[in-house]
Amino acid sequence: MITRLIAFARGLLRRQEIDDEIVEELHDHLEREIQMHLAHGVSPDEARRRAIRDLGGLTQTIESTRDVRATWFDGVGRDVRHATRVLRRSPLFTATALALLVLGIGSTTAILSVAYAVLVRPLPYPNADRLVFVAEKDGAGVAWPNFEDWRSRAHSFEGLAGSLADAVLLTSGDVPRRFESRSVTSSFFRVLGVVAQRGRLFDEADARPDAVPTVVVSHSFWMRELGGSAAAIGQPLSFNGKSFHVIGVLPRDFRYMTPAEVYLLLEPQVAANYRGMQSRTTRTSFYGVARLKPGISVLAARTEMQTMQAALAGSATNPKDIGIQLVSLSDRIVGDMAPTLMVLAGAVTLLLLITCVNLAGLLLNRSTVRAHEFRIRAAIGGSRWQLVRQLLVEHALLIAAGATLGAAAGALILYCLVRLAPSDLPRLDEIHLDVTVMAGITALSSACTFVFGLVPVLRTSDATWHGLAVRSGRGATHRGTWLRSGLMIGEIALATVLLSGSALMVQTMLRLARVDLGFDPHNLRSVMFSLQGRAWPDARKQVFYRSVVERVRAVPGVEEAAITYSLPILGSNWWNVFMIDATTAEYWTSVGEFPNAGMVPVTAGYFEMLKIPLIKGRYFDSSETPTSLPVAIINSSTARKYWPNQDPIGKQIRQGYPNDPYGPWRTVVGVVGDIKQNGVDQEMPRQVFLPAVQQPRTTMFAIARVRAPVPGSSIEAAIHDLDRTIPVFNDRTIEQVMREASSRRRIAMVVLSVFGGVALLLAGIGVYGVVAQGVADRKLEIGVRMALGATSNQVLQLFLGRGLAFIIVGIPVGLAAALVAARSLASLVYGIPVTDPPTLAAVAVILVAITLFASYLPARSATRIDPLNALRAE
Amino acid sequence: MKKSSLLQGTLDVLVLRILELGPNHGWGIANRLQQMSKDSLKTSQGSLYPALHRLEMRGDVRSEMRASDNNRRARIYTITAAGRKRLHKETETWTAFALSMARVLGTNE
Repeated sequence: MITRLIAFARGLLRRQEIDDEIVEELHDHLEREIQMHLAHGVSPDEARRRAIRDLGGLTQTIESTRDVRATWFDGVGRDVRHATRVLRRSPLFTATALALLVLGIGSTTAILSVAYAVLVRPLPYPNADRLVFVAEKDGAGVAWPNFEDWRSRAHSFEGLAGSLADAVLLTSGDVPRRFESRSVTSSFFRVLGVVAQRGRLFDEADARPDAVPTVVVSHSFWMRELGGSAAAIGQPLSFNGKSFHVIGVLPRDFRYMTPAEVYLLLEPQVAANYRGMQSRTTRTSFYGVARLKPGISVLAARTEMQTMQAALAGSATNPKDIGIQLVSLSDRIVGDMAPTLMVLAGAVTLLLLITCVNLAGLLLNRSTVRAHEFRIRAAIGGSRWQLVRQLLVEHALLIAAGATLGAAAGALILYCLVRLAPSDLPRLDEIHLDVTVMAGITALSSACTFVFGLVPVLRTSDATWHGLAVRSGRGATHRGTWLRSGLMIGEIALATVLLSGSALMVQTMLRLARVDLGFDPHNLRSVMFSLQGRAWPDARKQVFYRSVVERVRAVPGVEEAAITYSLPILGSNWWNVFMIDATTAEYWTSVGEFPNAGMVPVTAGYFEMLKIPLIKGRYFDSSETPTSLPVAIINSSTARKYWPNQDPIGKQIRQGYPNDPYGPWRTVVGVVGDIKQNGVDQEMPRQVFLPAVQQPRTTMFAIARVRAPVPGSSIEAAIHDLDRTIPVFNDRTIEQVMREASSRRRIAMVVLSVFGGVALLLAGIGVYGVVAQGVADRKLEIGVRMALGATSNQVLQLFLGRGLAFIIVGIPVGLAAALVAARSLASLVYGIPVTDPPTLAAVAVILVAITLFASYLPARSATRIDPLNALRAE
Repeated sequence: MKKSSLLQGTLDVLVLRILELGPNHGWGIANRLQQMSKDSLKTSQGSLYPALHRLEMRGDVRSEMRASDNNRRARIYTITAAGRKRLHKETETWTAFALSMARVLGTNE
């Protein structure tokens, strides 16, 4: 027994060697035999002939000797070789099946990988399910005093922290450089559960007023700016002109909301009343994050907070119940990207189903085609097991190739998707081809392949199997036909759903492209610059703006330039209430809502450059100076809302509340047209424009209308010519801003359209296949019919009817499903209802046309059947 | 099926018997077979090699490639202990079978 095992093992290991030795051994035999014959005086040729004859043929003997050595593995090897031959012999089938597998596996893996990374995979914090996002109800941020109320009273939290995204200037070098930063409360990292990679993170002691100022930096900052040296920890760095001690480095993969490289403590900033944070009416982009106590649900925490906030309201300092927004942190981070991803995941799942259905149809068809081959195998004594094994190997080969190519395709699609994705897609950098997703999808495709490839064979009973050998095999195909028709109906329904989605998205994009923006968005380029710190008192900014405009205008290729506080499309940076005439304060108090609008400081020339029409009065011009009459320009919406049927020119407005005014009373000198300030798909907001010279701000946009493409760097250089310590950043064109803003829709449209198109194509091919098979199966019947006088029109109708039947059932089912699925598109569709009847009707028409065309081709070929030939062939 | 395994068994026993006399290569065994049976048990040389390899797979013989007289390598087969045991058992079976056949046919009075 053991010797046998050893021999067997040796045989496995030394296959090639043994093969060679067998050849050598037999050649040796022949040589000796020939020598013997020669010794008896036989001619060399005859000697060789006899030797080979007596051996029973050289090749045959080599083969039969090898067969003795052959093992189970050789059996599989033979099956694989045979399967490869079979697949190569039917290239059309192989290519189609492979294409379906690659398409199904590749696209689904890519898109579900994205969905999984963004939606499902837990956030990279320990026990991330207990982290919640806390804010005031309106979402505009949390007033610091409210945050302190919550922190001292809430019982649901193990810890409550807060942070706000910011930017700082690194002023250690000779030229200040700007870094994205986050100001955090001292408990922030502890609440998130993050541990320092080097050094330590903030603790309560760092937040004491007398503590040494400290800073925590990201891993990338540490590597790039501090040379990744351990000695850098404990060293001082200067930010915004103030010295901070580096106390620690965050882990490489740490991230929270927007990327940041520098983390500063918030408490000292509040103590200095930075951004007016001590006031209960100030809203910055400061938000809370909390870790729930174990066992406390999000709902329970929300209820507690809401009750608490309601009880706090009503005092003199805290008049209004501001309400509470408390959601799990992952919901907040994924935010409104979730619907888009759900749509994509849904679309790709539909596509996967369609490819599986098509694959199933293809395999069923093939088993019908190969029925003859199977019959022959059965007739010459092939066992069913042998056939099943052979088919198993064939399909395994297909799947292996499909999965490999599918993985490659998936990686490619994923690459394109990530390129296409909006840069604010949460967790973009966490996305990679997911092995679990890939395995699941491959398993599904394999199951589909094996089931539809093998079931027709397995389903035949032993009796039928042996019967197969003798039957001429009509009828056996009928069950398959029904199954295939069912699959076709499903496929058409699925295609209807995908196409409706894609039609809605195409309509949306067309409508968005036709939206009147109120200004000319072409050839506009902008950069941001920041005049931070003590070196920039308002008086200096006011003068500086004019120099910037002049310098930028002088850049070759620039036509016009201006400075603004808010970029069109990108949104308002400053929303404020204002008073209209001192006397009406009481009236507005009784209404309950003070007049409000987006406040936009701009330089003279801004409206002319953007081509925003002047409706009344005048634009800003060079007569505006820091000391001239305070003025404002309002847009049409503002005029309509607050001065209905009146002339607003000459009216007085002032920002703030009567008891808390901001800035001087201003005279309205002009009314301009509304623009899509907050996005193409948004309402045109009310706006009040102020001369930048009278209302300077720290961070502004320099915006230029260019004749030819002008690199952002030349605008940056123009500003740096004036002062090279000014940070200039966020170079972009308005068209980029628009593209970015519509990127979710574009992804949804591209994916749905591509998938919809593929689904349509597959449905067409599927219908063609089924009808063509029907024609082939019923050749004889058609021959008889035509012999008995059926016209070719009647034959045509017979088969067109098949296609029609698919439509009659498939499209209504699909439309019903599309109506349900369209709800998930609601947040993406713009300008038309998601149940838009003309759109759905158009989809139905396209499907009917394709289906009829796909059935017409084989049906027409049926009419060309020569009755005589058809009958004779039987 | 029965018939072919009987023939196969016959060839195996004969090969083992030849190898009991000493190690030999395939051609040598084929020649000895012919001499010993005086051509009465004519087998195709072609079936000898599968049989030899089958015996080796079963562990009844072992083989090695050895440089031979004519400046080539030849595979030399040697009977193993297991092979001897099988040969003796088969010999007994055959003798008993032949005896009983002779008795039945009345040639051994």
